[in-house]
Amino acid sequence: MTNSMNEAIEALGAFQPTIEVIDEREIKVSVSPDKVISTLELLKSLGYSHLSLLTCIDWIDDNQFELVYILFSWKDGGKFIVSTRIDRNNPRFVTVKEIWPVARFYEREIHEFFGVKFIGNDDMRPLFLELWDDKPPLRKDFDPLEYSKKKFPGREYRKDVLGEAKKIFRGEING
Amino acid sequence: MKERTIWERIADNLRSRSIWMLHYCTGCGAVELPPSMTSRFDMERFGIMPMATPRQADILLITGYLNTKTLRRVIYTYEQMPDPKYVVGFGSCTINGGIYFDSYATVNRLDYYIPVDVYIAGCMPRPEAILEAFNYLMEKIRKGEANGWKRYKENYEWYKQNQIRSLGEVYVHDEFHE
Repeated sequence: MTNSMNEAIEALGAFQPTIEVIDEREIKVSVSPDKVISTLELLKSLGYSHLSLLTCIDWIDDNQFELVYILFSWKDGGKFIVSTRIDRNNPRFVTVKEIWPVARFYEREIHEFFGVKFIGNDDMRPLFLELWDDKPPLRKDFDPLEYSKKKFPGREYRKDVLGEAKKIFRGEING
Repeated sequence: MKERTIWERIADNLRSRSIWMLHYCTGCGAVELPPSMTSRFDMERFGIMPMATPRQADILLITGYLNTKTLRRVIYTYEQMPDPKYVVGFGSCTINGGIYFDSYATVNRLDYYIPVDVYIAGCMPRPEAILEAFNYLMEKIRKGEANGWKRYKENYEWYKQNQIRSLGEVYVHDEFHE
């Protein structure tokens, strides 16, 4: 851990985060949803000003979505992973597009692929999918194979009768 | 089958020796094209040349997996190309979906949407396989058997119906260009 990371962890103490050291320059900070924005603001003021990624994980057994913000420092290459868990049945969260303008595209993506609504970000048009007509595709309860069979018919192969007969003859399978 | 006139046979012979392929790479199969084009395999000795625009091209290569978003653009491109036009499908993805057979965005068989003259099996096909396929396509053109463009015209309703079934509608709405 670098010095600035130690300082940041000390400063974060007020938010009662769960801190997990992943690597020499990589720390995961889990906080409750109401403290995320202040955590992000604090880390940004301490030099972790680059939002590398904002993404979402579906924990279907816990009935929760995990929002993950990855912050990067250009001073010493440190990385903070700020994560929080929100309710899966009514997924809503506050936007961070005022802190990082680029976040509005990440939020559109998460809205499209997981169905999380970001309050304050009113631009929720589809970003990647075109004419999508099912539940958000990266949710764990979405069945891609079933959707694929419904939408994109596959090729039907004729059964290889001769090949199977040869295998039965050689004793590889039972006839 | 109708007997071909001598002029049609001459035209087919000439067509088979000057295939201009559209330089539009849809998937990962496109990485096999640079070695096929450069000095080791030297595609141009067969008269196969890359061409930048669909309006001057004869052959459309679908190199690898094709998702719904790309398929719309591919249909646009294919319909812009002048007759006669040929389609070559690369790799297992165009045949049956390949490793993306259960993806929500990847189309599973290409000949359902546009007519395919030659398929190249494998993931990825080697440059030898590509040249073999082009030789086969040239032979088919000479014999007058590579008539996917005629099939597309005759069965236009069927193709359109399949396209609309999988895509919703073929028209491209693009926020970055509108």
